[in-house]
Amino acid sequence: MRKWKTHTPEGAFDLLEHACARKRGVEDKITRVYRASGYFEVQTPTFEFYDVFADESGDIDQGSMMKFFDRNGRILVLRPDFTTPIARLCATKYADAVFPKRLSYTGSAFRDGDGGASAGAVQKEFTQAGIELIGQSSPDADAEVIAVTIRALLSCGLEEFQIDIGQAEFFKGIMEQTGLDDDMTERMRRLIDKKSFVAVGELADGYQIDKELKSLILELPNLFGGIEVVERIKTKPLGSRAKRALDNLMEIYRILADYGFEKYVSIDLGMVQGLNYYTGVIVKGFTYGVGFPVCGGGRYDNLIGDYGKGLPATGVAIGIERVISALCHKANAVEEEAFDLPAVHTLVCFGEARETAFKIAEGLRGSGLCVEMWLGGGGAEEYAARRGIGGIVRVKDAETIEIVNLRDGETTETTLSGLLGGDGV
Amino acid sequence: MRYLTVALAKGRLADFSIEVFGNIGLDVASMREKTRKLIFTDEKNKLKFMLVKASDVPTYVEYGAADMGIVGKDTILEEGKNLYEVLDLKFGACKMCVCGYAEQPLPSGFIKVATKYPNIAREYFSAKKNQTIEVIKLSGSVELAPLCGLSEVIVDIVESGKTLKENGLAVLEEICGLSARLVVNRVSLKMEKRRIMDIVGKTKEILLNDNHH
Repeated sequence: MRKWKTHTPEGAFDLLEHACARKRGVEDKITRVYRASGYFEVQTPTFEFYDVFADESGDIDQGSMMKFFDRNGRILVLRPDFTTPIARLCATKYADAVFPKRLSYTGSAFRDGDGGASAGAVQKEFTQAGIELIGQSSPDADAEVIAVTIRALLSCGLEEFQIDIGQAEFFKGIMEQTGLDDDMTERMRRLIDKKSFVAVGELADGYQIDKELKSLILELPNLFGGIEVVERIKTKPLGSRAKRALDNLMEIYRILADYGFEKYVSIDLGMVQGLNYYTGVIVKGFTYGVGFPVCGGGRYDNLIGDYGKGLPATGVAIGIERVISALCHKANAVEEEAFDLPAVHTLVCFGEARETAFKIAEGLRGSGLCVEMWLGGGGAEEYAARRGIGGIVRVKDAETIEIVNLRDGETTETTLSGLLGGDGV
Repeated sequence: MRYLTVALAKGRLADFSIEVFGNIGLDVASMREKTRKLIFTDEKNKLKFMLVKASDVPTYVEYGAADMGIVGKDTILEEGKNLYEVLDLKFGACKMCVCGYAEQPLPSGFIKVATKYPNIAREYFSAKKNQTIEVIKLSGSVELAPLCGLSEVIVDIVESGKTLKENGLAVLEEICGLSARLVVNRVSLKMEKRRIMDIVGKTKEILLNDNHH
């Protein structure tokens, strides 16, 4: 036998019945919330031309895309995210649509890499569900996608989580004020992103920066927490760009408070990842038991323009696997009851009365039960017990039907009309 | 209250960490005993300490298996994980250097570089010096490589420079300074900000006082 014949590649997994049911359950709950707010689902191809994702302003590291060739030698990639294809779709298919456009998606995305620097994706194939709100640049739009995401997380049964909001323009504005060049700005950004308090100071010390401004930069890695972080910098000398960013963030916060979601939202002004990509609010969600963010997103007003039509847009994606591990953590290991897991209620056995047996099985299914037919071989009782089936219906003929309740072991006799009601049809 | 888990790099660094944590009032008595246990608990402060291999500390912390960790900057650079690096503990200060024969300048063309830190070496030569190199990964006694012609130079940690000198080698270029760092998982810092920043703050104070005396 070949060496890898019985294995799955690293980062790709089989999902067995229960895990699969659990995942579908979470997806269903989330998409129901999306739909209820007017976000209807679209599907884009699982693989696309590399050109769609290859861009300087892209958020996705080239090396983490899974690439292959078509027969014309063109480079294809398994989609590394959904926002980029939806940006392409909007510019090309919805250019003349009625805006704002609300769209949602659910499916697998793919990223290669060891899980480190590349988006922290432990699984190379992972599932995302998300929404995009296109054609609106108001803080109300940003607050709406965040609020819908919060509702979606709540609907899955997640209670203790925290959504951090930051603003890409805030950092860009401050760096503009310092007059540091791009290289220095990038070094500073990396240090702030790592919350490297000491190194930020050392770097800032080496440059002629206004004293007040420098103290603000030193504060940046620490500017996260409740709304009070904004109070802490009110006296600092903010330029108009940084000030606008801060006002925008405050407005989004106030709108979320009106949604009643204040307790889930905190501020992180030191959130400086993906600054080439994000043009406004940046969103990241955290919870206990998962070392990675459970959701993420923000405003990306420049992306859709890359595909031919400039449109402001904002959106948030939820990592389904991460939500599931958070739920499992919450249920302390896995309390199966916490999820809608599949169960077979009834096993229908028959001797000669095949036609009647089929009628009974369909009748029971019609009333919402999950019913299996006994296909013979071995003992029905033993099979039912091992599979956790609730009961067996033995059909001898239309007038003689035996029901064995496997939970309490009781056996009752009935007829076709007795079982299904009416004339048994 | 939930347990906060701290991953400590086994060895000298763990001893230092235990010392510091003891000084800021955490219960580390069980860790001072000589045992083969790998996990120790401070019930009063709801803390768990884990002893792990140094190069694994960033991995435990990135995945959230540990909320925070103490590990050398060399390991953090080499492993390249997505972490918060919140405090420089100034312990074990030394330098990452390019070393070779003292009398020969660093060649500017294609060279072979032997090292225990392939990522740091590759990053330094390709990104900072725009020089194409071949990395030869070794696990120890890296100084041997230039001596027997396996590589032109090495990239390694230099503390006193004594080993280099005794083998006729010298520091050609300094890559960066190293010391022990306190790292924190990105989610943990958000979800347990108060408790983690409390430990960070107290540790910072202790270190400052130590430096003054």
